[in-house]
Amino acid sequence: MTLSRRDFLALAGIGGAAAALAGCGGQLEPADVTVAGFGEGASGTLNLWCRSDTLTGNEAMVEAFHAAQERIRVELTPIPNSQYVTKLATAIRGRRPPDLVDIDDIYSALFIYRDAFTDLTPLIEELPYRDRLSPGHLGLATKDDRFYAVPFLADNSVLFCNLDLFERAGVDVDEATGSFAGYLEAARAISALEEDVYGWSYPGNASGALGFTVQPHIWATDTDLIAGQIGGQTGNVAGNESVRRTLELLRTFWEEDLVPPVAYADDASRWNADYLSGRIGMKPASYGVIVPDADPALLERTEVRLLAGPDGGVSFFDGGDNFAIPNGAANPSAAWEYVRFCLEIEQQSNLPAGGYTPVRADAATDAFREQFPLAVAPLEQLDAGYAPLSLSYNRIYNQPDGPWLEMFRRAVFAGEIEAAMDEAQDRYDLILRQGDA
Amino acid sequence: MSAVTSRATAPAGVPRRRRSDSLTHPRRTGLLLVLPAVAFVVVFVFAPLLAAVYISLTNFPLIGSFEFVGLENFALALSDPVFGRSILYTLVYTAIVTGPILVLGYTLAVIVRANRRGSTLLRTVFFLPFVVGLTTISFIMLLEAQPDSGAVNIVLRWLGITDGSTAWLVDGPLATALICVLVIWGVSGLTMILLMSAMQGVPREVYESAELDGATWWQTERRVTIPMIRRAIAMSVIISVIGSFLGFTQFFILTQGGPGSETTTVVMSIYRRAFVDLQLGAATAMSLLLVLLTALVTALQFWMLRERD
Repeated sequence: MTLSRRDFLALAGIGGAAAALAGCGGQLEPADVTVAGFGEGASGTLNLWCRSDTLTGNEAMVEAFHAAQERIRVELTPIPNSQYVTKLATAIRGRRPPDLVDIDDIYSALFIYRDAFTDLTPLIEELPYRDRLSPGHLGLATKDDRFYAVPFLADNSVLFCNLDLFERAGVDVDEATGSFAGYLEAARAISALEEDVYGWSYPGNASGALGFTVQPHIWATDTDLIAGQIGGQTGNVAGNESVRRTLELLRTFWEEDLVPPVAYADDASRWNADYLSGRIGMKPASYGVIVPDADPALLERTEVRLLAGPDGGVSFFDGGDNFAIPNGAANPSAAWEYVRFCLEIEQQSNLPAGGYTPVRADAATDAFREQFPLAVAPLEQLDAGYAPLSLSYNRIYNQPDGPWLEMFRRAVFAGEIEAAMDEAQDRYDLILRQGDA
Repeated sequence: MSAVTSRATAPAGVPRRRRSDSLTHPRRTGLLLVLPAVAFVVVFVFAPLLAAVYISLTNFPLIGSFEFVGLENFALALSDPVFGRSILYTLVYTAIVTGPILVLGYTLAVIVRANRRGSTLLRTVFFLPFVVGLTTISFIMLLEAQPDSGAVNIVLRWLGITDGSTAWLVDGPLATALICVLVIWGVSGLTMILLMSAMQGVPREVYESAELDGATWWQTERRVTIPMIRRAIAMSVIISVIGSFLGFTQFFILTQGGPGSETTTVVMSIYRRAFVDLQLGAATAMSLLLVLLTALVTALQFWMLRERD
C-alpha cells in the first residue's frame, strides 16, 4: 500500500486532533458517600485547595485538625482568587482534582451544574445542625433539590457605622440605617461636620466589591437583577425600580460630595483605609475587611447593621466559602471527616478571630456575642442573606469590563441612570444567554 | 554525472533507469529529508488547527460534556456587540501605535547605527524596555498612574499641566493614550534593532556615491537608506501589527478591559469567554475569526509593502 503526501498529511492531522481531544472525554466518578463508615476513621493525605482570600482561616483550621488527630494530614494549597475557577476546572479536566475544595460559594454552581462535584445530600441531612446552616450558602450548592457542597465560612456584607461621628452629627444610628432617606440624612449631617469627613464610602472602580455591597439594597426589596432559573435566565435591570432608586442614592452621594473624591478611581486595593481613619460615617464592607486591622478603640465605637432597601427591609450578601468534594477525589472519606471537624461549633465560633463569620446560626451564643459583637448581625437574621444563583455571576459582577460596573459608573458618575440601566439590560441578557448555553 | 545525462546517453536496448532509481536521488530520499519538518508542522500547526476547528463546532466547556453545535459559536461571536467592539478597538489601537513605533524605532536606529563612541550604550538603553518586557513595565505603570500618588501625576502637577488627580486607568480614552505611550516606548527597541541591522548592511559605497553627488542627509535617507531596507521595514511593520492585534498583557494588567468594555481587546474578549465563562468552544470560534482577520491584514500588508520593481 502506498501512502500519498495528501493521505499522509490527512492521517497525521486526524491523529493529532484525536490525541488532543483524548483527554477531553469521560466524566470523573463521584464518591460513594453512602458506603458504611464514610467520613469516619479515614487516614492518609488530604489535598485541600483554598482561595487565597481565606488562607488565614484555613490555616488555622488545618492546624487545629492536626492537633486533634494524627491519621489524616492535610496538604493545603492556596489558589489566587482570580485564578481559582480556571485552575480547578483545569485540574478536573486533567482528571487530577484535589480531594476537597474550599470554594467561593458564588462559584459553586459553575461546577455543580457541570456535574463536577459529589452529591453530599445524605451526609448533610445527617448533620444534627442541618437546619441551622446558612440557607444562602446551601442555596448556591443546590441543584434539583440535592446538595453538592456544604457551607464552611461566611463573608457577609454589612454596614459599619462610626458611632462617634453619628453622635457628633446628632443622628440616631437605628433611625438612619433603616431606609435610603435615613442614609441620606445621616450622610449629609456627618459630611457637614468637617472637611475630609464623609457620610458614606464606596470603591467606585471595584466591580466585585460593589456587587458585594450594593446589591443587598436591591435584594432587600425581594427583587434581583437576574430573573429566572439557570438555563433560561435574563436580566431584570431596565425598569427595575429598586435598581433605579439604589443608583439614584449612590449618585446623590457622589453629587453632593458625601463620599470621598477618591471613590471615582478606588479599586478597593485599600478598601478599609478610609473607615479605619475614623473619617467615614457609614461603610458597607465585610467583617474581614474592617475588623482585623482596626484600632480597638474604633471598634468599640462601631456598630453593625444589615443593608437596607429604599423604604425598609434588609439584606446582606451571603458570601463566603463552601466545601465540595470533586468527583474523582482520591480520599473523599478523609475529606468529609475534615469537613465535619470544621463545622463543629468550636471551630465555627472561632472563625471571627481570622476575619470570617460562622455559617451556623447556633454559633451566636452569649459568649460569642460578647467576644465578637460585630459578627453577630448576619447570624441573627440568616434568612435575610442572599446570593444570586447564576453561571454568569463572575462575568457580570466580578469582571471590570462586566455590565455591572459599567452601569454603576455611568449611572453614578455620569448621572445617566436610565440609559445605564437600559444598556445593562442588553448586556445582562446577552451574557446570561451565553453563560447558560 | 546527472540523471538527465545518463538518460540521454543510454544505449538502445538497455532499460532506461527510472528517475526514482537515480544514484544521486535515491527513492524516498526527498520525502525522508523533509519528514522531520513535515512532522513538526503537522503536530504543532495542522493538528492543533484541526482540533481547534473541531472544538469551535461544539459547545466544549472547560469541564463537563459537550456536543456538536455546528456554526452556532461563529454566529454568536459575529452577533456579539462586545466582541465586535473589541475587534474595532483592537484595530484602532493597532492603527494608533504602529506608525509611532516605526518612526521612533527608525529614529533610534539612525542614532545608533554608526559605530561611534557611546553607540553600544545607547543601543542597550533604547533596547532595555523591550528586554524588561511589557508585563513588568505595565505593573510599574499601574503604580505610577495612580491619582495623586503616582509619578505620572506628580510630574504633570509639577509641570503645571494637571492638578495631579487624574484617574488615568478608569477613563477609556485616557487609559488608551497611556497604554499607547507605554507600548510605543516599550517595543520601539525591537524595531530599532531590526532596522539598525538592515542599515548596517547597506554598502558604504552607496552612501559615498550619494555624498559625491551632493545628496543631503534627508535625500540620502529617502533615496538610499529607506529603499534599501524596505524589506526590513516591512517585516518590522508586520511584526508590530501582529503584536498589536494580539495585545493583551498591558490591558489585562492596567485596565482589565474597563471601564466597561472600553479597553477590551479582542484577545481579552476571547480570554474571558474561555476562562471566565469556561466556554472553550465559543472562545475557539472567536480565536479562529481572529486568525482569519490577522491573516487577511497580514496579506494586505504583504501586498502593500511588496517590491514594486
